[in-house]
Amino acid sequence: MITVEQRAEFRTHFRYNVGRRLVIDKIVKGIVFACVVMAIIPLGSILLEVFTNGSAALSIEFLTQIPGAIGTGEGGISPAIQGTLLLIGMSSLIGVPIGILSGIFLSEFGDNRYGKAIRFFNDVLAEFPTIVIGIFAFLVIVLVFGNFSLWAGTFALSIIMLPIITRTTEESLKLVPVTYREAGFALGIKRWAVITRIIIASAKSGMITGIMLAVARIAGETAPLIFTILGSSQFFSGFDGPMDALPLRIWRISMLPYDSAQAQGWGAALVLILIVLSINIGVRYVFLRKSGGAFRFRSVRRRL
Amino acid sequence: MTRLIDPHLNKLSFLMEKMGNLAAQSINLAIDSYLGGKNARNEAYELSSQIANLYEEIGTLTFDMILKYQPVARDFRLIRSSIEISYGFTRFGRYAYDITVVRDIYGDLSECKNEVIYTISGEIKHMINLAIQCFATLDLGKAKQLQTDEDLVDKYYNKHLPMLINSKNIKCALADALVLRYLERIADHASFMGESVNYIVAGNRTIR
Amino acid sequence: METITKAPNAVNLIENKKYKLVAEDIVASYDNVIAVKNVTMKFKEKAVTALIGPSGCGKTTFLRCLNRMHELSKNAKISGRVLLDGEDLYSNHQDPIINRRKIGMVFQKPNPFPTMSIYDNVAAGLKLNGLRNKTILDEIVKGCLEMVYLWDEVKDNLKKPGMSLSGGQQQRLCIARALAIQPEVLLMDEPASSLDPIATQKIEEMMNELKKEYTIIIVTHNMQQAMRVSDYTGFMYLGELIEFGETKQIFENPLKEITAKYVQGQFG
Repeated sequence: MITVEQRAEFRTHFRYNVGRRLVIDKIVKGIVFACVVMAIIPLGSILLEVFTNGSAALSIEFLTQIPGAIGTGEGGISPAIQGTLLLIGMSSLIGVPIGILSGIFLSEFGDNRYGKAIRFFNDVLAEFPTIVIGIFAFLVIVLVFGNFSLWAGTFALSIIMLPIITRTTEESLKLVPVTYREAGFALGIKRWAVITRIIIASAKSGMITGIMLAVARIAGETAPLIFTILGSSQFFSGFDGPMDALPLRIWRISMLPYDSAQAQGWGAALVLILIVLSINIGVRYVFLRKSGGAFRFRSVRRRL
Repeated sequence: MTRLIDPHLNKLSFLMEKMGNLAAQSINLAIDSYLGGKNARNEAYELSSQIANLYEEIGTLTFDMILKYQPVARDFRLIRSSIEISYGFTRFGRYAYDITVVRDIYGDLSECKNEVIYTISGEIKHMINLAIQCFATLDLGKAKQLQTDEDLVDKYYNKHLPMLINSKNIKCALADALVLRYLERIADHASFMGESVNYIVAGNRTIR
Repeated sequence: METITKAPNAVNLIENKKYKLVAEDIVASYDNVIAVKNVTMKFKEKAVTALIGPSGCGKTTFLRCLNRMHELSKNAKISGRVLLDGEDLYSNHQDPIINRRKIGMVFQKPNPFPTMSIYDNVAAGLKLNGLRNKTILDEIVKGCLEMVYLWDEVKDNLKKPGMSLSGGQQQRLCIARALAIQPEVLLMDEPASSLDPIATQKIEEMMNELKKEYTIIIVTHNMQQAMRVSDYTGFMYLGELIEFGETKQIFENPLKEITAKYVQGQFG
């Protein structure tokens, strides 16, 4: 037991340096704040740059026309917008369900050797250079079927999506307190119902963040697309034909030695950012708005 | 580790001890003065009211303990028995006073020489000490002995009370009858104390 | 998870008729730590049985064995028998899910489902088990909320999230949720340990009503609570059932020295 005298001593010891500790507190707060500012500066300047340079190129024609002749500064990026939207949509159709299901598997049933192995390979896949995945798609789809195609691009992008969604789904499911699971089981609810109706409903926000991260990631991928959809100046002509995409178009036209082409590149970059942003906001609004709790999850499923 | 209830339990046992001493003192006084022909009404009254005050104090204390600490098991049984035993002590004081009142009302009783009273009062003095000892030591052997003693006093009482009808001296007979009655009651309460002690130790009242 | 089932003993079956729930030779462990050592306990029908004992004595683990929740924990092992109306819950042909519908459970911390409304929380057990009839659901939800004295407080806000209630109300909501699946036995794991005295009192009053219909088993750290609500009390220490008897006897006249020491607050 600490005696009264000792406690008095501790007390004086504890109180004499209050001033110093307050100063340290302020310094650390300052450092943290400075770090935040440093992290925001590049983000802000990129956005500013893209907006100032890109907004000049925006016009109805730019958004609706196919690209004009090189160097004229005419035409638009419409096929690229179409391609990007198609790629995002198709890759999500494949990547999201598989990713979510494997995330559920890892979180709910993955507490064993198989789960550990899958988790490890999933992490490796997440860190894979995307260009390698592009080459892989080139080998197994483009070479086998003999032409560059939207299918090949979708294939590559869904592989890129998978590990991100799997990992974030698993993590957000694991964050759901075990008490909810137990409450569900104690009510005699079957395991699949506990997972789909209680746990996923609680983890929804984290899962959607993961999906949005994955969408943003693939929307900006360029390297794998070079090997798979190649690029084109024409509108969609079939899933087995080459296609254009915004990052690909940006990469192409920004390499051209004409000022007008570079301006179009800025414009395309702005459009890409706006697309990702609006998908993000739209999905969040649809899935995560407060609807009073009642029947929330079911109504979401119906909309899906 | 000292529990919050422990100081109160100590105080309770201190008060009980004090009360027991006063009760023994008052009964000894009453018996001695009755047999010795002295009038001790005032002293007995004084002792009896001291005992009554202590009974009040113990009542407050035990009530406090039950409310504050919600005692269970042995603590609870000790407190419950203390209430009963302290009531027994107040009865002792009261009967002692009653005996001195008999002496006071009838005046000089020196012509009455009832051997039975002598015998029983010796027995009673012994029982009171035994009862106090029994509570102080929580010795069940003493509780058993109290019961045997009480049976004995009962037998004496049942045998000798009817015999007083044949007594020539009415004054002596009445005084003896009253005193016999009080002594019998005292013995009864002493044996109840034995049962209370048995409850503290074993959780039931039947002395085996 | 490993279940060892013994053949039912004819003599035991006759004797067990008087009891709603009988746990026999329960040995439970997790991560190779034995938490419950050979506990045999019989629970009378329509009575409240309290389990008391110092922290870590295996009360909660034992309680979780009674509705096969223990086996959900990681590396959990259990052996022994639990008989509900003479039927072994651990026999191989019994689905744990069916058992859990017969034995409701209330947890230490209120845990209403965060994404569900008050109504859905109560109805969750039925809806997710496939009951769709709105009239029946409405009736059961109302009945269960009335049983926990919550109906008057929430009847106008049934669509509000369950999480918007106060702690005491949430716990009563959880009890209503457990009652909605129409169990026969109700297990309560320190249901009032995170509640204020008024909310605790409400839960205790409610238990007094509920025991007319249900067999209730409650784990509690609060001995006064055990004294107030229970008819029978079991004292567990270091995984063993030390003493089991009528509450009055356990608290007034415990037979074992260690029980007396524990209930008098000399350790624990």
